[in-house]
Amino acid sequence: MTIEAAAEVPATRSIALTISPWAVLKWVVAICVAIVAVFPIWWMINVVFSEPGTPVSLNPRLYPTSLGAGFDKIMMIMRETDYLKAYYVSIAYSLLTIVGVLLIGSMAAFEFALFNFPGKRLMFAVVMLSLMVPTAVTIIPTYLLTADLGWLNTMQGLVVPGLASAFGLFMLIQFMKTLPREMLEAARLDGASHFQLYRYIALPLSKNALVTLAILTFMKTWGNFIWPLIVAPNPELYTVGQVVGLFNSPYSHQTVDVVMTANLLAALPPLVFFLIFQRKIVEGIAMSGSKG
Amino acid sequence: MIAKKHMPHYMMVLPFMLLFAVFFLYPIASGFFYSFHDWNATTTTRFVGLDNYTRIIGSRDFKKAMWNLATYIVITVPLGILVAFCLALLVDSFKGTWSNIFRSAFFMPVVLPAFLAATVWRWIYTPNFGLLNMVLGWFGLPSLNFLNDTGSMLYALIAVDVWVSAGFNMVIILAGLKNIPTDVYEAARLDGASPLQQVRYVTVPMLYPVLFFVTTYGVISALQVFDVPWLLTGSSFASYGGRSNALMFPVMDMMGRGFGSLKFGQASAYGFILTAIIVLFTAAMFVFRKKGYDQ
Amino acid sequence: MAQLEIVNVSKSFGKTDVLRNVNLDISSGEFVVFVGPSGCGKSTLLRMISGLEEIGSGHMRLDGKAMNSVDPARRGVAMVFQSYALYPHMTAFENMAFSLKIAKQSKGVIREKVEKAANILRLEHLLERRPGELSGGQKQRVAIGRAIVREPKVFLFDEPLSNLDTELRVQMRAELIQLHAKLKTTMIYVTHDQVEAMTLADKMVVMNGGVIQQCGRPLDLYDDPDNEFVAGFVGSPRMNFMKAEVISTSKDSIVIGGVGGEGRFEIPFTGFDPAIRKIKLGIRTEHVGFVNGQPEQVSLPAKVAFVEELGDVSHIHTDLASGERLVIRSTGQRYAGSGDCTAVLDTKGLMIFDEAGQRIRPTR
Ligand SMILES: Nc1ncnc2c1ncn2[C@@H]1O[C@H](COP(=O)(O)OP(=O)(O)O)[C@@H](O)[C@H]1O
Ligand SMILES: [Mg+2]
Repeated sequence: MTIEAAAEVPATRSIALTISPWAVLKWVVAICVAIVAVFPIWWMINVVFSEPGTPVSLNPRLYPTSLGAGFDKIMMIMRETDYLKAYYVSIAYSLLTIVGVLLIGSMAAFEFALFNFPGKRLMFAVVMLSLMVPTAVTIIPTYLLTADLGWLNTMQGLVVPGLASAFGLFMLIQFMKTLPREMLEAARLDGASHFQLYRYIALPLSKNALVTLAILTFMKTWGNFIWPLIVAPNPELYTVGQVVGLFNSPYSHQTVDVVMTANLLAALPPLVFFLIFQRKIVEGIAMSGSKG
Repeated sequence: MIAKKHMPHYMMVLPFMLLFAVFFLYPIASGFFYSFHDWNATTTTRFVGLDNYTRIIGSRDFKKAMWNLATYIVITVPLGILVAFCLALLVDSFKGTWSNIFRSAFFMPVVLPAFLAATVWRWIYTPNFGLLNMVLGWFGLPSLNFLNDTGSMLYALIAVDVWVSAGFNMVIILAGLKNIPTDVYEAARLDGASPLQQVRYVTVPMLYPVLFFVTTYGVISALQVFDVPWLLTGSSFASYGGRSNALMFPVMDMMGRGFGSLKFGQASAYGFILTAIIVLFTAAMFVFRKKGYDQ
Repeated sequence: MAQLEIVNVSKSFGKTDVLRNVNLDISSGEFVVFVGPSGCGKSTLLRMISGLEEIGSGHMRLDGKAMNSVDPARRGVAMVFQSYALYPHMTAFENMAFSLKIAKQSKGVIREKVEKAANILRLEHLLERRPGELSGGQKQRVAIGRAIVREPKVFLFDEPLSNLDTELRVQMRAELIQLHAKLKTTMIYVTHDQVEAMTLADKMVVMNGGVIQQCGRPLDLYDDPDNEFVAGFVGSPRMNFMKAEVISTSKDSIVIGGVGGEGRFEIPFTGFDPAIRKIKLGIRTEHVGFVNGQPEQVSLPAKVAFVEELGDVSHIHTDLASGERLVIRSTGQRYAGSGDCTAVLDTKGLMIFDEAGQRIRPTR
């Protein structure tokens, strides 16, 4: 904010038409970085929406050239591969994870944030310590446990081990701590049972935090590559990530535009989510960062 | 009586704590157990003492992975944070809509699943007709094989990594910037500080906790780097790490030993070696921070 | 018969005793005000009545039934909080209807009861608004409405007017008095403001340090306080206190000296205990006058420190030779501006306290 003020003071003081070199530089840099950031995604779109087989010298793919070709490719992928099924699997995996994380996380956060009971501090400390333990340590034993349970290549094997999210719990606790104690007491006097306090007061008032957590959980689950890779190697349960992995594998015989179509389809849900929920996503990440 | 009074509380935390115990605490404990055993997931286990640990530490792959990791962290974390910091200042210097537009643009790569970022970049890096080589061609430079040339592979990875993580760190730093009260800058300006001096003497010190978090978090995630190098190289348990293991990293090595060679005991031990490194590092960071405050 | 009996109730948080041996009877339909400085345990007592705080030791009975282990919602009490504690995600109507909805009342009954309460509080036109769209006074009325809807046996108010500005506070006070007259339900009201307590209370309970100092009708407390704390707390400006010594006692009078420095005079007092030497004198400001010339009555020389002139009345703050402060309330004359004056004490208004602050009353 202040850098801007500092940079713009000369501009505003002199006659309106003079532009300070600082301001020009700023714009140039910002636009260049934006291009670097966005271009790979843009390029992916262009590759999809152009006639296949045109050499780069004729079409450098800086803009989409053929919408029809793009849709043809999408239809082809949907028809000839199991992409659609992978979509279902990924969506089911994400939605079930979101519902589970939100439900059990908010129930536990409600207790941790607002009440005292014997053993609370110990439980809380253990859960928070787990935030420091890298996934690398747990992934193999968790895989072996899931295998012992007979959950390999099942939806519950994908979903259940990831539900006790310490990060989600932490975020919801931080939020619920700000709920005023008197309001819960008023509800208690109004006759609400413990569960009704959660259901009618804490849950609706935490809507913002829940939405943010739902979005972050979606992004994480949709982008989760390693867990589906090891726990559901059966093609019946391939997620979008795995299917894209197949398209991309060095031994795949697909051409670049087909591969990019597969990639674009995988990128679509998170990108759309981002465009809709930008503010919530950014705030959620900022919150988890500044509180950590 | 006491148990009865607190029953509703326990009922509400039960689902979380149960899943947490089963899918986090138990795996850690069992992983610790496996790490002292020879165990390929089918035959019975055989106690081997510290054998798994010594074998890993003595292996060439481990040394290569550690060396790669060290180089990677030393470059990627400071570079990533520096870029993120500059981007945050840049975004912060715009007003209203433009600030939002640039923030969204810079953040876009974060939204992309890591597996996609890696694959898109692999095509950009492709020899001859890849996008990057096309750009090199415009300047009359020879085509490079970024992902197969041991001299450039690591840097290719770092570029992707910075591209992916800068937006994430930028958002956190931006939130920190917003928390600095404007009157501090006004005071500095009245004291005659130039814009650069304001960054040096106001912004950086006041962002210390945020930068600390970003650094710690950045190193901890970098220690566990997996998806991107996995996908930039062979991306199968038969082939990973790239040419002469130039992109071999510890988690990759660990996964390979587990799911590639089915040496789950060794893989578990590997996990604990990594945890030890992370815990040591985090503790060091906190000691370091405490010293920073004491001064 | 007492509706609410509080017997020997004590409470401590960890090692700190917050309430000690509280005994209190409240009759049906009474307007009772707990008043005392902040931190004296008023809210804790109120919250124990509501059930939100556990009763440490002792008993509480409502309509003859022990309340100690009864769930807050089943005690038949409703509470209004200082922060209003309205549910921000519900409209005013839903806020008031919440308890009925929890109790699974039919929609028709809910509507009828809420509308009745809204009518009493003149809230009809605000029922569809959320708390965020209401002013402070309106929020407080919704909070009161939420309590009325439950038709409680006892209303509890915890400093409900403290968040309002002065003018609104006076207005809401009047509304509360009218509400009490209309509903005729027992109300227990907590405040730290003694003026508020005096204006509202049928029965005023003065508390300090977790102990009930005195309870009774406001004017009884004003005229005949049991101890120095109550004497000083009730009434504004505060009662004046001066150290003094008893020089001699007789059947109907005592001679005291060292008042405000040199003052020595005889005052009527029946049956003073001759063993007591050191005492404290208390006198309200309206029983102190001042003269410029030579006095004939009990008087003390004083130096004027500053004067608060309020128009109808002036409070003249003076320093006595002992360094003690003596405030004179003057309604007739205005202060003329001289530095030295003579304060005249009306012995009828003199109260005597022992060293521990307990009132010493004449025997009859
Ligand atoms: N939950 C609690 N834990 C510990 N101490 C408390 C708690 N509630 C109140 N207290 C203490 O008890 C004393 C009385 O508090 P309270 O009843 O709120 O006073 P009042 O309402 O008269 O201002 C205060 O000293 C306060 O610090
Ligand atoms: Mg209070």
